[in-house]
Amino acid sequence: MNESSIVDSALPISIRGLTKQYGQLYALDTVDLDIKSGEFLTLLGPSGSGKTTLLMAIAGFNRPDAGSIRFGDKEMILTPPHKREVGMVFQSYALFPHMSVAENIAYPLKLRRVNKSERRERVNKALDTVQLSGLGERHIDQLSGGQRQRVALARAFVFEPRILLMDEPLSALDKKLRERMQIELKDLHRQLGVTTVYVTHDQREALTMSDRIAVIDNGQLMQVDAPQVIYNQPSNAFVADFIGESTMIPLKRTGNELFVGDERVSSVPDTPAETDWSLVIRPERLMVEPGTADRDSTLFFNGTVKESVFQGETALLLVVLDDGTEVSVRSSTGTATPGITANPGSQVQLAIFRRDIIVVPTGNSQR
Amino acid sequence: MSKTSAETVVENNQTGNQFPAVSDDNRVALAEQEKREQWKLLSLTFPALVVIALVILIPVGWLFYLSFIGKAGGFSLENYQKMIEYKSYARTFTTTFQVSFLTTLICILLGYPLAYFLAQLPGRWVGFFMLAVLLPFWTSLLVRTYAWLVLLQRKGIINDFAINMGLWESPIKLVHNMTGTLIGMAHIMLPFLVLPLYNAMKKIDRDMMHAASNLGASPARAFWTVYMPLSLPGMVAGSLIVFVLCLGFYVTPAVLGGGRVIMVSTQITAILENQFNWGAASALGVVLLIATLLVLFIAGRVLKLDAALFGKS
Amino acid sequence: MMYFGERSITRKTTSTLVTSSLKPIVKAALASAMVVGSATAADPVTVVSWGGSYGAAQDAALFNDASANTGIEINRESGASMSKTCLQVESGSVSWDLVVTGSGGGAAAAAKGCLEKIDFDVVDVSDFYPNLYTDYCVGSDVFATVMAWNTDKYGEPGSDGAPKTWADFFDVEKFPGTRAYRANNVDGALEPALMADGVPPEEVYDVLSTKEGMQRAINKIRELKPNIAVFWESGAQQAQLMKDAEVDMSTGWNGRFDNAKKDGATVGYSFDQALLDYDCFAIPKGAPNKDTAMKFLAEVSKPEYQANLPFHITYGPTNQKAYELTTAPKELIESLPSHPNNVPLMLPVSLDWYAQNRETALELYIEMLSE
Repeated sequence: MNESSIVDSALPISIRGLTKQYGQLYALDTVDLDIKSGEFLTLLGPSGSGKTTLLMAIAGFNRPDAGSIRFGDKEMILTPPHKREVGMVFQSYALFPHMSVAENIAYPLKLRRVNKSERRERVNKALDTVQLSGLGERHIDQLSGGQRQRVALARAFVFEPRILLMDEPLSALDKKLRERMQIELKDLHRQLGVTTVYVTHDQREALTMSDRIAVIDNGQLMQVDAPQVIYNQPSNAFVADFIGESTMIPLKRTGNELFVGDERVSSVPDTPAETDWSLVIRPERLMVEPGTADRDSTLFFNGTVKESVFQGETALLLVVLDDGTEVSVRSSTGTATPGITANPGSQVQLAIFRRDIIVVPTGNSQR
Repeated sequence: MSKTSAETVVENNQTGNQFPAVSDDNRVALAEQEKREQWKLLSLTFPALVVIALVILIPVGWLFYLSFIGKAGGFSLENYQKMIEYKSYARTFTTTFQVSFLTTLICILLGYPLAYFLAQLPGRWVGFFMLAVLLPFWTSLLVRTYAWLVLLQRKGIINDFAINMGLWESPIKLVHNMTGTLIGMAHIMLPFLVLPLYNAMKKIDRDMMHAASNLGASPARAFWTVYMPLSLPGMVAGSLIVFVLCLGFYVTPAVLGGGRVIMVSTQITAILENQFNWGAASALGVVLLIATLLVLFIAGRVLKLDAALFGKS
Repeated sequence: MMYFGERSITRKTTSTLVTSSLKPIVKAALASAMVVGSATAADPVTVVSWGGSYGAAQDAALFNDASANTGIEINRESGASMSKTCLQVESGSVSWDLVVTGSGGGAAAAAKGCLEKIDFDVVDVSDFYPNLYTDYCVGSDVFATVMAWNTDKYGEPGSDGAPKTWADFFDVEKFPGTRAYRANNVDGALEPALMADGVPPEEVYDVLSTKEGMQRAINKIRELKPNIAVFWESGAQQAQLMKDAEVDMSTGWNGRFDNAKKDGATVGYSFDQALLDYDCFAIPKGAPNKDTAMKFLAEVSKPEYQANLPFHITYGPTNQKAYELTTAPKELIESLPSHPNNVPLMLPVSLDWYAQNRETALELYIEMLSE
């Protein structure tokens, strides 16, 4: 991301102590979050986690019970939505069915008293940007899902807001189109350079598009980091479980050391002593029948194959370890790697590099 | 997929080679089957068509026929000539359309906020308030109309109360005139407007208003540019129902109009009761019917214009 | 032609009007009638009258007892109308057997061929006043279209300052206040206006026989129109308007006002210049129970039933004998429109005039109303 080019077209968002309660339930529980200027930040979480509530609070559509939302230096918490100057793409697109495509896009410009010729120019430019040139006179119900999505997008940025909010904008599209739009959206973000807050429950989408991901659950932020960090170094069991596939193996603690079976895994990280710890294993990090390997850099497991599943580009092996834990192993079916030929019932040895080991606390925070 | 089904597919592929690429087998039979099903579907509408013929076409045809029968018994235009001869007919038509128009207008002014309120209510309250709106439907028209008389007349509850409170000195004439008629009519007609309007409003996505305000529209602006146009089809439908029902109204203007608000229906009754003159009454009915159809036609044209503006929705 | 022979009433009734209590005799007569009638009980006869105190009075005085005494079952319906009767007859689906009508409506329906001829072998009208029945309609009661007023406002009838004539009704300077007048029906609407305009009662129908004369009456009503608060549609409404004090003065039918007074309304009226008229029973052509209806009509036309009518509504009997049989007190009898003291004060309604001019008069009247 080229930060220097976007300074004047984007605003940072600073959220402090944001709280919203529905009865006994916390939709937002003292959320603190800093979204950098020009950043693409994704709010990721299961349904009901509070991610949409947070987005709606930023847009001004719901009234939090307490807290602060700043756009740049300006406190916005009391500002009505129509004065917040943020663009938003709704999950339903919320295109006005009684207006044509061009009228929809011109709507925010009309409200800002942009004169007619400039309006036309900017609408056409926005249509160009979303690759809908020449469709301005169409009616909304004459458009396909993908086209509607683009109109909604054009309408959200045509008035040059410095913050863009998107609420699961791709969830109504089929898989292929969705994947293409992910790339286009990312591209557009680069072009516009606006601060973007994106809500999704699709972790792959979040990993693909974001500069940073804020994982949210039960109204609390679980981790805010770059995608690679979120994936490789989840800071708790929830994130580890929610992002990517994983098997979690509880660790035994002896003194300051953590063990799985007799194998030492690592030292106890510097956290309160009473917390339990678990080993997180990503299926694609496990190696089958590694042969001779360096014991210092590798951790070995023995088990019995339960099931072998062919899934196209990868194959999945379900293995029951000797201590009874079931782990899955994913391996490429490409010619470069040895194919998994193990039949159910056969004994296998699995291995994982110590550098791929993830250890997370599973004490109080375990769900 | 299990192994066995995979095998079956392979077998089919092999035996499939026996069939020619384009087959005429069963083509005729299939076409006939489709036709039969279409006829069956059509036959379902048959009872409705019969009912329409019996209840609408025949009586209306009879009405037309009668309207051209003079007092002497033969074909005559005298019933229509009379409508030109006496000014009362033009006046009652004017009154009828005036009352209908004003009632519709009042219903819109009262019904729109009411429907909006209902559409915003959380589910569990809608039932209760809807019941309140619909309650008049279950009360006899006559009872409701006379209830207004009790409220509005010279020594009625409203005048008594207002005079006791010192709001006004002497009784205000609230009934036995146009005012009373409109109050009573609007009360009876309100549900007919609110129901379709509520339905239309219920269909408006919450996100529409959010989107408008997000794009910079003040609540008022968002209402006029987005909510209002989207609720318009429901409002037009409701208004048409109210307007057309008003055109044929009899009881309420008769009771609350004090004999001053003479609608076409009143005049039809007067002619029937006093002259037993079916022809003259039929002619009035025919003119009212044609005028009503004309209104519907014009409204239809306007609606089509709307449809063009709104797309198919 | 005047349909109503006022002299005949005067001559035949004066001697017998005031009678002592004859209730036992009436009862005996009723009992004998029962034996005669009960043999032919068949389908119920549908008897149709009007709502309000009028129908209730007929139920109490005529229908209930006649039904009990003859064994003829009846269906009582409201909303009697000659136009509906004609509609039933013309569409060939007659469901009514015996229908009440005003004399004018009865005559018009008869002229249109909607009514059965009365079988005077069954219905005994030998004691009727000669002008209170026709070949198609048998008089049921005599009533008057009067002007009534709120006695709180204008004083009791006959007192100083109380209104006396139609001229007073139309004079809003002398009698300021609101008025009620007839709506959508010209019956009894034009005559008062002409009298108020100075036409002597005996010349009213002569003047009204020209369009100019009708227009003269209508102009008079048009003058009063700003002060006419309500145009009434029914007898029940006349009573209600006075009870609610919605208007200060109204035209209407004397019996309705008496009943309103019984209900607590401060209302009074006078027979001065009132219009004398009668109601009658008719049988629709092709009535399903024509013969039984005829028998029932014969029963209710007997004087012993009519003798009871004044107790329920102050309408006079059409059968002279009823005056001999009635146990009603003197004051009540003297308050009946057909009482010889009252008849000379009134203008009998001309059926002839209505037969010839009703249609035009109605058009002109509605034209004025619609202004």
